[in-house]
Order: sequence, then C-alpha cells, then structure tokens
Amino acid sequence: MEKLFLNAGAGLEQWMVSGLGLSSIIANLIMVVIQVAIILTFVLLNVLYLVYLERKLSAYWQQRLGPNRVGPRGLLQTTLDVIKLISKEDIVPQAADRKVFKLASIIVFIPAVMLYAVIPFGKDMIAVDLNIGVFYFIAISSTTTIAFLMAGWGSNNKYSLIGGMRSVAQMVSYEIPLVFSILGVIMLTGSMRMSDIVAAQSDVWFIVLQPVAFLIFFIAGTAELSRAPFDLPEGEQELVAGATTEYSGMRWAIFFLAEYSNLIAMSALAVALFLGGPAGPWAPSWIWFVIKVYIMIYVFMWVRWTFPRIRIDHLMHTNWKFLLPLSLANILVTGVGIKIYQWFIQ
Amino acid sequence: MYGKGLVKGLGITFKHFFGKAITEQYPEEMPNLSNNFHGSFALDDEKCIACGICAKTCPNNVIEIASSKGEDKKRRLDDYNMDIGLCLFCGLCVESCPTDAINFTQDFELACYARKDTFLNLFKRTEGQDSQPSEVTEGGN
Repeated sequence: MEKLFLNAGAGLEQWMVSGLGLSSIIANLIMVVIQVAIILTFVLLNVLYLVYLERKLSAYWQQRLGPNRVGPRGLLQTTLDVIKLISKEDIVPQAADRKVFKLASIIVFIPAVMLYAVIPFGKDMIAVDLNIGVFYFIAISSTTTIAFLMAGWGSNNKYSLIGGMRSVAQMVSYEIPLVFSILGVIMLTGSMRMSDIVAAQSDVWFIVLQPVAFLIFFIAGTAELSRAPFDLPEGEQELVAGATTEYSGMRWAIFFLAEYSNLIAMSALAVALFLGGPAGPWAPSWIWFVIKVYIMIYVFMWVRWTFPRIRIDHLMHTNWKFLLPLSLANILVTGVGIKIYQWFIQ
Repeated sequence: MYGKGLVKGLGITFKHFFGKAITEQYPEEMPNLSNNFHGSFALDDEKCIACGICAKTCPNNVIEIASSKGEDKKRRLDDYNMDIGLCLFCGLCVESCPTDAINFTQDFELACYARKDTFLNLFKRTEGQDSQPSEVTEGGN
C-alpha cells in the first residue's frame, strides 16, 4: 500500500520502455505529463468537494443543514453548479481592458497549479524535489497577486480596482511574516528541500518546536488566502466581490477554483512544515497526507466561520505592529536556542 | 489575556458544530405551532348565538353575519362569511366572542391564486331552515 502509486508509476514507465519500445527520455516525458494530469485531477476533484464541504461545514457551525437537495445529502450540488457556470455566457464588459481582463482569469490559475510541484503527497511522492522547495513555493504563491491586480485594473470598475489594490496591499504585507515564520523551520532543518524538512520531523513535529511560528504562519496564511477574518479584498458588504466583481460564468469559476486550490496548497505546506509531513503510523503516508491536509482545511474553515471581518487599518496594524515583530523575535529565540543546543551536544 | 476572546469564540462555534440543526424543512416537516397561533378560523355553529359582536369588533370589517329570528323568538345564524384577504389576524373577534364559538386554527397555508378564493364561509348549513328573511350584521358602526 505504501508504495502503491510509486510502483504503479515505475511499472508504467518500465512497460513504456520495454513493452512499447519508447526511448527512456520520451517515456520520462510522458510520465511527467501523467503526473501533472494526476495532480490536476486531484486538485480539481478536491476543489469541487471543498466548496461543498465549506457550505456544509459553515451550515453546521451555524446550526443549519446546508445543501441537501441535489443528490444524496446534496453531494451533487457543486457538480451541477459547475455545469451551470460552464453553460453561462462569457461576458466581458464593454469598458474593460479586454486583454488584461481575459488574461487575469487564466493567470490566476497558473501559480495555483504550479505550487503543487513541490508538495510532498507522500513518502518520496514529490513531483519535483527542488533543493529550494520552500523558496519556490513562496515565490510562486506571491505571483497570484499580479492576477488580482490585473483583474482589478482590467475590469475598469471602482469596486474591482479597490478590491485589487486591497488584495495587493494585504498579500504583499502578510507575505513578510509568513516568510519569517517559515524561516524558523528552515533554521532548524538547515535545508529548504521539502523532503529534508519532512525527514527532520521524524522524531518531533515542528509545531512542537516552533509553536509561535505556526501561529504566525496560520494567521498570515489566512490573510494570504484572503479568507475571513481577512477577506477585505472581496468584502461583499462594501466591495460587491472585489477584483472579481465583473467576472461571471467560467471566468469567475476559475478565480474560485484558484482560491480553493490555494487553500489546499497552503494547508499542504502547513502539513509539510509543521505537522510532520505525510508521515504517520499504521496507514500509508499518502492517506496521512490527505487526513492532515483536511484537518488544516477544517481549521481554516472553522476560523473563517467564527470571526467577523476586521477593519483595514486593524489588518495592517496586526501585520506590521504585531506579527512582524513577533516573527523577528521568534527567529532570534530560535537562533539562540539552536546555539545553546549545539553547546550541550558538544 | 490577549486572544482569550478568540479562543472563546472558536469554542462556541465548535459546540454549535455538534449541535442539532434548527432548520425546519417546511413542506416535508410541518412547524410545531403554539396553541395561541393566529392561523385560519373555525366556527362552532352550535355555540354561536349570532350576536354579531365579532363583526362589530373587527377593525377591518372582515366578518359578515346573516341571522334571523326563529319561531321560538331566538336569534340564529344563517350565514357567516369572512374576507380573509382583509383580515389582519389581530384576534379581536376570537377574544370578544361571548360563547367561545369562533377560534383560531393551526392552518396557516392560506395563499391562493384568485381574490375570490380568499373568502371564507364558516357556516355549515344545517337542515330545517325556515324561509324567514335574514338580517345582515356587519361592522362599520
């Protein structure tokens, strides 16, 4: 069970070389395409049911029933929603900057998928085990900002523009404590490779050694994902839908897809950095990965459906006056701690 | 302590998460109504003495009563009509009835397609009517 996917992949590649007589380079290329397809399917299927899960869980937190009409327990609700969205007309506002408007909805999805290249889905199940895996994740995830700015600017609508600007301001500032909180983990591991970080947690999870960093990571991650209580970029009551105001149909669905895809990626990163990665007793690692990711997603949703949205100035104050000094202090304490630990070891 | 409220809030939602949903799935599940619920009306024509107080007390002139004097010189009910479309369900008729003849029911599904369907006749015609002309009592004094 543990090596189910690895063995299947290796077997398929072996069969393509010996059975079909392809050269090993082509077989390798085809395997990469298959991996991308599998990751895409994983993301899309999860997003489909995350929307359902969010609606259902939010209903439970508010003592409602949630969707329960379409299919058994409402399970087909989101599937039919997607079919509806696909069948809708593709509306581009007349005053919009057409190229930027159209490009934004595509660009927003690209980093959302690229993030999955470095995520450890299981033991030895990282698509590309980069030696700068964490850095790659941070770099790619920050480019999502550009798509929101493009959408806000290209829509030629005041609400879109305000939403886009807010999302840029929020994402750029919260990136700093996010990165600093990860730095604590990297200092402990001495490597930015995902597999090294996961391996370093075989004895004790980093959430135990770096609880403050995890807290900062969680808060900044919530802000990066623009989820409540930090959902100012799309605050419905004031900005209609922020940068996505003018989008409808499939283009809007792609924004939605990217949002939930980022949620999975952020949860997966939290699992890899703080919760011991895809490792656990009795069950195969990829099952533990899914369980841990869904626990993280549950917590993200729990927070979203508990707290009200905070004000924009409080948002900035939380970041610059609380999270940033705290994360710097955490780095200092971690550094001192490592030195003291090294003393005692010698 | 800083953040105590946040933890408390999370605790409340977590408790609610396992609580029973308060949603009523209305057409399949009928609501549990109180005994005092102001729904439609029911008339007990055995009890009704056709005094017309209900019609007089109604602020919107909803009730229209027809009554006649029988051979025993007793007033009796010939017809009891309500224009529910005008009714504001204040319950003054129910309160003012001296014999407790008119009462609310639990039936609240009063929506209908045409204006004429909003009229409600509460009088069940019994045998042995005599042909004396009825005298109509309405509100609007």
